[in-house]
Amino acid sequence: MEVLLQVLIGGVLLGGLYALVAFGLSLIYGVVRILNFAHGTLLAVCGVAASLAFSAWQMHPALIAAMLAPLLFAFAWAYYHLLLRPLAARNHFEGTVGTVLVTVGTLLILSDLTAKAAGSTQRNIPLRLPALEFGEIVVSSTQLLILGGIVVLTIVMHVLLKHTWFGRAIRAVTQDGVGAQICGVRSVHMKALTFAFGSATVAVAAVLYVLSFPVDPYMGFGLTVKAFTIIVVGGVGNLPGALLAGVFLGVAEGLTGLYWKPEWAPALSVIAMLLILVVWPKGLGRSA
Amino acid sequence: MKALNRLPPMLGFGLVAALAALPFSGNAYLTTFAFSVLIAYILGQSWDWVAGEMGYVNLGHYAFYGIGAYAFAIVLVGGSPFWLAFVAALGVTAIAARLLAVPLFRLHGDYFAFASLALLPLLEVLAYNLTPITRGADGIVLPVAQVLQPAYLIALAVCVLTFAVTLRIHGARFGYALKSIRNDEQVAETVGVRIAPVKRRVLILSSLFGAAAGALQAWQMSYIDPATVFGLNVALAPIAMVLFAGSGLRYGPLVGVLLLASMQQWLLVSVKGFQATLYGATLLLIGRFMPGGFLRAKWVRRVPGLAEFGREHHEHAMTAGVQAPAKAGGELPLKTLPVDGARPLIELQGVRMQFGGNVAVNDVTLSIRAGEIVGLIGPNGSGKTTLFNCISRVYTPTAGRVLFDGQDLAELGRDGIARLGVGRTYQIPRPFSDLTVQENIAIPLMFGAKPLSPRDALREARAFVDYAELGPRLYDRADALSVQEKKALEFARALACRPRLLLVDEVASGLTPAEVKRFVEHIRHVRDRYGITVIWVEHIFSALEQVVDRVIALEQGVLIADGPLDAVVRNERVLATYLGAAAAATQPSAQPMLIQGVA
Repeated sequence: MEVLLQVLIGGVLLGGLYALVAFGLSLIYGVVRILNFAHGTLLAVCGVAASLAFSAWQMHPALIAAMLAPLLFAFAWAYYHLLLRPLAARNHFEGTVGTVLVTVGTLLILSDLTAKAAGSTQRNIPLRLPALEFGEIVVSSTQLLILGGIVVLTIVMHVLLKHTWFGRAIRAVTQDGVGAQICGVRSVHMKALTFAFGSATVAVAAVLYVLSFPVDPYMGFGLTVKAFTIIVVGGVGNLPGALLAGVFLGVAEGLTGLYWKPEWAPALSVIAMLLILVVWPKGLGRSA
Repeated sequence: MKALNRLPPMLGFGLVAALAALPFSGNAYLTTFAFSVLIAYILGQSWDWVAGEMGYVNLGHYAFYGIGAYAFAIVLVGGSPFWLAFVAALGVTAIAARLLAVPLFRLHGDYFAFASLALLPLLEVLAYNLTPITRGADGIVLPVAQVLQPAYLIALAVCVLTFAVTLRIHGARFGYALKSIRNDEQVAETVGVRIAPVKRRVLILSSLFGAAAGALQAWQMSYIDPATVFGLNVALAPIAMVLFAGSGLRYGPLVGVLLLASMQQWLLVSVKGFQATLYGATLLLIGRFMPGGFLRAKWVRRVPGLAEFGREHHEHAMTAGVQAPAKAGGELPLKTLPVDGARPLIELQGVRMQFGGNVAVNDVTLSIRAGEIVGLIGPNGSGKTTLFNCISRVYTPTAGRVLFDGQDLAELGRDGIARLGVGRTYQIPRPFSDLTVQENIAIPLMFGAKPLSPRDALREARAFVDYAELGPRLYDRADALSVQEKKALEFARALACRPRLLLVDEVASGLTPAEVKRFVEHIRHVRDRYGITVIWVEHIFSALEQVVDRVIALEQGVLIADGPLDAVVRNERVLATYLGAAAAATQPSAQPMLIQGVA
C-alpha cells in the first residue's frame, strides 16, 4: 500500500512536470505555429547544467533556476529570430519541413554536444531535505518543493495568460494572427517573446525535474513526444487540460512500472495517443 | 534544346548501366557505398510520394524500413529462404501501414508530422523489449555471408522500379488524386475524389518500398539492432536528402540523394567524433536555407542541362503534350438533362445545423424542381453558405433530411454526392493552387460518375476552359490567376463535375458589371442548354432578377420568404432584416433602390 502511494505521488509529480513541458510547447505552437522538436531536449540540457552547477558550487536549486531561465530566454529569442522566423515567409510545405529539420537538427546538436561536454551518464541533484511525516505517510520535502514549484509556475502562467496584456496578446495571436496584427499586436515581436518565454519555462521545469528524476542528454525527445501526446489529448493552449492529461500520463507510467515492467513506460504515451486518435478522433479542442 | 531535354533519360540509362556493372569491378568499398546510396534513394523517393505528392509529411517513414528489416531478419533466422523472408517483410509492413493509417490520417499538417515521428521511439521501445522475438539490444545476426553482389543488384532493380513508379504516379489518376489532396482535401472531395482510400493506398505503397529497403539493408549488413533501424539520428537522413534538392520534383530525390549521400560517406570516413553534431548541423542548414530544394533556385533555371532537373512535374511532357484545339461556339461536352418541371430535384426536410449553441440553419424545409434557377438571399451570417455545406456534406446536418432526386444523401460522403451530380463553387475561390488551369478542370472529369483517363480528361478540359474564357491561361498555375479568373475557373470546375444541381456561392460579388453580366449569361445558358438546376447565393439583385425563377430568403438560419423576386423584396421581414427599412421608406410604392443598384 505504501509503495502504491509512493508510486502515485511520484506519478503525480512526474505528470505535473510533463504538463509544464507540454504547456510551454503548446503555448509556442499556438502562437508561433511551430512544433519545436527540441523542446524536451532543452529540459535535458538544462537538467544536466543544473546538476553540474549544483555539484560544483552547491548552489540552491531555486538560484540555479533563476539563472538558467533568463539564459534560456535569451537563447530562444535569438534562435527564433535567426533560424525560425525566416521560414515563416515560405509556403506552407516548405515552412513545415524547414522547421522540422531546423529543430530536429538542433535536438541532435544539443544532445551530442551535451554528451561530449558532460558525459552521457544519468545525473540528478542529490539535494536531500528532511522528510515530513503526516501520521503514517512519509513525504519528502523535496517532493513538496517540486509540487510547490509546479503549482507556483502553473498559477504564474495562468495569471499571465488571463490577466495581463502580454497574455491577452498571446491568446489573440493564437486565435487569429492576422486579426491580432490588424488590432496593433506586434505579431513578430509576440512570436519571438512567446517562443522565448515558452522555452524559459522549461528551465524551471528542468530544475524541478532533476531534483527527483534522473536526466541524461538523450532523454529529451522522449519527453517531447510525451508533451505532444498531452497536447493532442488536452488541446492547444489549454492549461487545465494539459495538467489533467499530464498527471494521468505520469500516474499511468508509474503504475506500469509498478505492476508490469518499467521499460514499457516510455511506449505508453505513443500507444495512448494512437488509441485516443482511433476511439476519440475529435479530441479536446483539436481542430482538423 | 531538344537534345538537352533528352539529357536526363540518356544520363539515366548510362547511370543504370554503369551501376549494374559496379559490383563486378571487385571494388567492395565502392559497391558498399553505392549500395547505401541506392537504399537512400528508395527511402527518399518513396517518402516523397506521400510528402511531395500528397503533402503529408510522414516523418516516421523510417518505421517501415525498420519493420521490414526486422520482419525479414526474423523470418530468415527461422530458416526460410531469402525470397520468402523478403515477401514476408513486405507483407508485414503493408499490414502495419494499413493499421497505422487509421489513427495517423485522423490528423493533418503538423499534427500528422509529429505523430508519425512518434512512431520511431515507440517501435524502438518495442524492439528493445520484445526480447523473445527481436532479441532486444543484442540485435539479430542473420545467417548470411557475402551477399553484397546480389543485394546490390536487387537494390538497383528496386531503385529502377521506384523511379518507374514515380513516373507512373505523375501521369495517373492516382497521382492527380494525390495532388488534389495536397492542395485542398475538402475541395478534392467535393469534386468527386474518394480521398480516404487514396491516402491509405499511397501510405501502403510507400511502406512497401521502405520495407524492401530495410530488408535489403539487413541482408547486406547481416546484422540489425533497434538503434540502427529506429534511431532518430538516422531516420531523417533520406528526408533531408530529398528536401535538399527538391521535394515533389521528378529528379529532386535522385539528385539530393546522390549529392548528400556522397557527402555523408566522405564525412564518415574523414571526421571522427561529433558526427551527430555534423549530421544535425546539416539538417539544420538544409531546413533553414533550402527547404524548397536548391533545384528550385533561380540560377538552376539558367544553366542549360541543369534546368531540366529542376522542372516541376507539370512542365514535363505528359500534361504539356495533351493539346486540344480551341473550340468555337462555347459548346460544353455535357449531356442535356431532361427538364421535368413537376419533379423536385432537391428537397430539404427540416434541415438543421447547430454549432454548439449557435443554430446556423434552423429547420429549413424547401423543394426545388429540376431546371429551376433559384436565388438564395439573406444578410451575411444568415446561413446561406452553411445550407450549401449541408447539401454538399461539408457539414453533416444536425437534424433533418436532404433528398436529391428522391435519394437520401445521409448515406453518402462528399465525393459520392459530387458523383451523384452536385457541383459547387466557394465564396472565397479555392482552386487547386499549384496545378494548372487545365489540370484543375481535368480532375473532376477524372473522378466523376464516368471517370475519364487523365489524357482524355486533360483534352476534354479544354472546352470548359474556353467556356470560362480562360484559354490563354490553360497552362498557368491557378495561384497566378486574378480573383475574377479564379472565380471563372471555379465555375468551370463545378461544371466539369457534370452536375445536375449547381450550387453557386457569391460568384459575382466584387466583380465589375461586365463580368457580372457574363456570369448571368453563363448561368442562364447552362440551365437553358443543358438543363442544370442552379441555386445561386448572391447579394447583387440586378443580377439575380435577370435569371432567377424565384428567390428564397434566409434570416438567422430561418426560411422567411419563398417566391418570385418582386414579391420577396416587398416581404416585410425581408425588408426589416435584410434590405433595410430605409429602402422601404424611400420608395414605399415598389422596388427598393438596391434592385436597380448596378443595372
